[in-house]
Amino acid sequence: MHLQLITLTGVSIDKDVYELMAPTTAGDIAVFPGHEPLVTMAAPGVLAVRTEKGDKDEKLEYFAISGGIIEINPKYVRVLVDEADAGADITEADSKAALDRAMKLRDNATSQVDIEKAMQLITQSQVRLRVADLQRHRRQR
Amino acid sequence: MANTQGLKQRIRSVKSTRQITKAMQLVAASKMRKAQEATKASSPYTLAARELLAAISTHNSVKTHPLFATRKVNSRLIILIASDKGLAGAYNSNIIKVYTNEVRSDEKAGVKNQTLTVGKKAAQFVSRVKNINVIGSYEELPDRPDGSELRAILNTARELFVSGDVDAVDVIYTDYVTSITQVAKVQRVLPAGFEDDDEPTAVSDATYEPSTEEVLNGIAYRLVGAQLFQALLDSRASEYSMRMIAMKNATDNASDLIDDLSLAMNKARQGAITQELAEISAGAEALNE
Repeated sequence: MHLQLITLTGVSIDKDVYELMAPTTAGDIAVFPGHEPLVTMAAPGVLAVRTEKGDKDEKLEYFAISGGIIEINPKYVRVLVDEADAGADITEADSKAALDRAMKLRDNATSQVDIEKAMQLITQSQVRLRVADLQRHRRQR
Repeated sequence: MANTQGLKQRIRSVKSTRQITKAMQLVAASKMRKAQEATKASSPYTLAARELLAAISTHNSVKTHPLFATRKVNSRLIILIASDKGLAGAYNSNIIKVYTNEVRSDEKAGVKNQTLTVGKKAAQFVSRVKNINVIGSYEELPDRPDGSELRAILNTARELFVSGDVDAVDVIYTDYVTSITQVAKVQRVLPAGFEDDDEPTAVSDATYEPSTEEVLNGIAYRLVGAQLFQALLDSRASEYSMRMIAMKNATDNASDLIDDLSLAMNKARQGAITQELAEISAGAEALNE
């Protein structure tokens, strides 16, 4: 099945894959070829892609995604999210530092604008941390 | 001789200024190219969101949706996008001119307004003007803003709009038309525009989870977000492009000034030599007599 991962900064994935695991607002879903047509809401979380049928879990590609929309139809699967960071580009230390910064920002926030900014950063860094964690486990295996 | 010394010093100082403006011109040019590419990057996103919207419009009435419905405008939110730094020619003053016009016309029409600023220059301007209700400011956005910055602005705007505090959200930004033409303009982002002629390409018998309303909410949010994002990117590209032109003009002016000063200096030096020669020959002439 053809997977497209489209973000505000461009197209991150545009290729044929075997399986897609994605977080939605109603829980995680896994999509295989031949899935029924579905349009659903993606939640911020970890998106995993298995390219070939027999690929082991170690070969999964991870992406930290923000909220968006997932569209599944017989021709393609399209994931439309604001941003998707590839696991390879994420480092645990950076994400942790970003999370700490965001927490501090939230605690010192004086205006609604600052709070909103901090909350967005917190969600983003938490998801990135989870992806970094998954990447690390994969290396240890 | 004192005169040539002074001229020499001025030439030296203008030369170092030219070096700086030249460097700034080159930096702006390379940043402009990157920003220009970035302005194109979000178009697949917008396109996909539009296709989805067209598909869903066969199920659900889009026009009555809270984010699409037009209301009588009694108050509005203005998002003013300017730069953090100066030295970009007329970039900031153009934007502020458009903004002041908007605020004035609101005053006349009796429309209340609130302002959200992006960029230090915008924040500085609104803080100097009386009777402006500023609800927040964003500063030092990176060259390639990502979703978290965008959503922070977008959520504030959406909450104000949905709760009924404002009836419209406008963004004032600089449209990047070409590398030499940039236009400051006003664009309405909420209520979101919807064109009936978008053809649904997706299969429309899909299941919608959790419900068509919620998916429609999500799509509307993304469409508005994409518009806002585009405005941020366009503004950034325009800023660099205007800074590049401004710095090119400054470099050219410095070169002209150096030419003039060199000419003046050469004249003064030649004058001094001629005078010295005249004095020597006059002295020799006097001795001969």
